[in-house]
Amino acid sequence: MAMSENQDLDLGGVGVESKKGSIRSISSLPGIGEHRAEVLYNAGFRTVDDVIKASVDELQDLGIPNEIATSLGRRSLGEKELSDLLVGYRLPQNLRVLLIEKIRNIEISEMELKRAIDELLALYKQITVDPNEPVGTVAAQSMGEPGTQMTMRTFHYAGVAETSVTLGLPRLIEIMDARTEPSTPLMTIYLKEGYDQNLEFAKKLAIEISTTKLLDLCEMRVDLEGKSMILEVDERALESRRVTGEELVDKLSSQKNCEVNDMGETIVISPIEKNYRQLQKLFFSIKDMRVKGTPEIKRAIVRRERGEYVIITEGSNLAPVLELEGVDASRSTTNDIYEIPKVLGIEATRNAIIRETVSTLEEQHLDVDVRHVMLIADLMTKDGGLKAIGRHGISGEKASLLARAAFEITVNHLLDGAMRGEVDHLDGVVENIITGQPIAVGTGKVSLTMKWSD
Amino acid sequence: MQELTRFERARIIGARALQIAMGAPVLIKVDGVTDPVEIAEIELMEEIIPITVRRR
Repeated sequence: MAMSENQDLDLGGVGVESKKGSIRSISSLPGIGEHRAEVLYNAGFRTVDDVIKASVDELQDLGIPNEIATSLGRRSLGEKELSDLLVGYRLPQNLRVLLIEKIRNIEISEMELKRAIDELLALYKQITVDPNEPVGTVAAQSMGEPGTQMTMRTFHYAGVAETSVTLGLPRLIEIMDARTEPSTPLMTIYLKEGYDQNLEFAKKLAIEISTTKLLDLCEMRVDLEGKSMILEVDERALESRRVTGEELVDKLSSQKNCEVNDMGETIVISPIEKNYRQLQKLFFSIKDMRVKGTPEIKRAIVRRERGEYVIITEGSNLAPVLELEGVDASRSTTNDIYEIPKVLGIEATRNAIIRETVSTLEEQHLDVDVRHVMLIADLMTKDGGLKAIGRHGISGEKASLLARAAFEITVNHLLDGAMRGEVDHLDGVVENIITGQPIAVGTGKVSLTMKWSD
Repeated sequence: MQELTRFERARIIGARALQIAMGAPVLIKVDGVTDPVEIAEIELMEEIIPITVRRR
């Protein structure tokens, strides 16, 4: 084709080119005969590359007909036109979108675009995996090896800006085990546009969200003689927590079996039945009473991140927080992976696993290809619920008895299997390793036949 | 012809090299090449090995 021909010629550089050779290669372009090639040559164009880098106007000025100039020269291609040109190329959708995104509003000729697409296709093909590649094994190793490096480094450390976050290997294990309760649950709450620059609003919301307990607001004394409790209200605490005295009294009054007397600076609260038993009962129910805020959320702080105010909470309870005014539910999230399927759904869970894993690894400067993490996340969420990686999850649910026995608690599995009379069809990898046969992966999965001459 | 994956290439070369090692007539001019694997590789390159893969 013309393309390879001109590439040979390009090697010589412009100066070395003979006029004849240049004209010949330029005339190989569609719609360009020898005459037009000479015109182009005289105008300073020496190679095919020079011509396809020219703008449409330049070509038209040299007397090249409109239609040919349009298809040959550089111009900005509209989105519609671009997607028309991409029809027929086997590109995944996200690459297609990305390409259109990058090329839109750039002056480019159709031929240059074709070259760009070819390059992209070659690159794409290079990073795809071959059929029969044992991707799962590779993913497991790719996560396992960095794990060994993490052990030798930090275990747990206090993070930036007053919050402490579990990091490194413990965190990675936490994610993979789909632990019900992460050791440091944490929410990142983003605010909607219009609220995200308002520090006052963010601070107010942070106080609104975080739990305020009774003892945060007042000192409590027990009057054993009068069989009552005396609360000395701290006005400054009330103000900083944005609780009014009335609210506090209301909240206290909602307690069962007690009388509340507001005496101004103190509040006296006593059980209806005046005896020590009732007093003690009341004491314990009131001691940890939540006056305000969302359950589970111990603390909330406001931080400025990438030009907007963000609320970081210690403790996690996503559902009620997403309902609040000003909270951007589409971006706010939690690091409690067990909570996400209940609130946001399984796809969000998959994304959360990927995000949390990648950020844990990145924080330790470990470079693991996302595709390994994606595969693991897919496996953990594939049947609509969240499943752990280990014995209690995926490995424990394998169909093959031998595969399960090979993982952990071998004897129990074999014994249970024997009692149930399980049959192993030797379809998987592990079973075939145990029985000393070729495994159904890579070369082992290729079956050959005779090729009859045609 | 469809492109072969690296597993398929390895498998074909392996099978063919075994045949050659056991005395099968070679299908190319060997020109002093004596290693059966090398011969199999050249044969695969020339696309004259009478073996294909069965894809399922």
